[in-house]
Amino acid sequence: MKNIGAPKRSNWIRWIDPRGKSTGSIGFLVNRLAGLGLTLYLFMHLIVLGKLAQGKESFDGFTAMAHNPFIVAGEVLVVFAVMLHGINGLRIALTGIGYNVGSQKRMLVVIFVIAIAIGLYFALRMFGGAE
Amino acid sequence: MMSKSSISENGILWFIKQGSGVLVFILIMVHMVVNHLVAETGLLSYTDVVHYFANPWIAFMESSFLIVVIIHALLGFRSVILDFNPSQSFMKVIDPILVIAAIIFSAYGIWLTVTVGSVAL
Repeated sequence: MKNIGAPKRSNWIRWIDPRGKSTGSIGFLVNRLAGLGLTLYLFMHLIVLGKLAQGKESFDGFTAMAHNPFIVAGEVLVVFAVMLHGINGLRIALTGIGYNVGSQKRMLVVIFVIAIAIGLYFALRMFGGAE
Repeated sequence: MMSKSSISENGILWFIKQGSGVLVFILIMVHMVVNHLVAETGLLSYTDVVHYFANPWIAFMESSFLIVVIIHALLGFRSVILDFNPSQSFMKVIDPILVIAAIIFSAYGIWLTVTVGSVAL
């Protein structure tokens, strides 16, 4: 197979390893990982929504299965990842233009607290609807 | 940043990624509230979805959301690839794949929106 200069495996290991990284870089890594997870979820979600085109029985059969607590827990995780990626992304954009560069650790802690609080709120509502 | 890349992210693409990110965050809030908070059982039934998409403004908003989220996701994925210092020839293979994926998934999403919206008519 022709070598087209694909990324090396050692680069991937270095990329994901949080050791020795600054707070800003860890926040950046968290955003990348949450983004990758959400991208995977987005395309799975789109494929599953294809059941809508198959009619009422097919879609309602799927939603009945989606009330399974494990799937609801997965959905709560998605809500948490959305909040984390969204607010942390805003922090990265602001830091990128030089705003609040000195207090990244504090901002990251606040972002985690907000994401967990909103995730918990959704969890209470969504598990209320789970069977 | 994480690592220097031999190919840096184009300034316009960076701006599109950030701008689409803000739009996605606003639209995803509406999407999540409607689908997981307003719906009594935490998920919309087929009848609810059909009724929801019968409103052309909702169908337009959800289609726009879908296109923007696909653009944001694929630009983000491209940024992750750039973190690994790929060669220009590698990116010449990846870029068209991402563009084709964006077109296919956007078309699929719009088709689904129109199909579901037309059921109520």
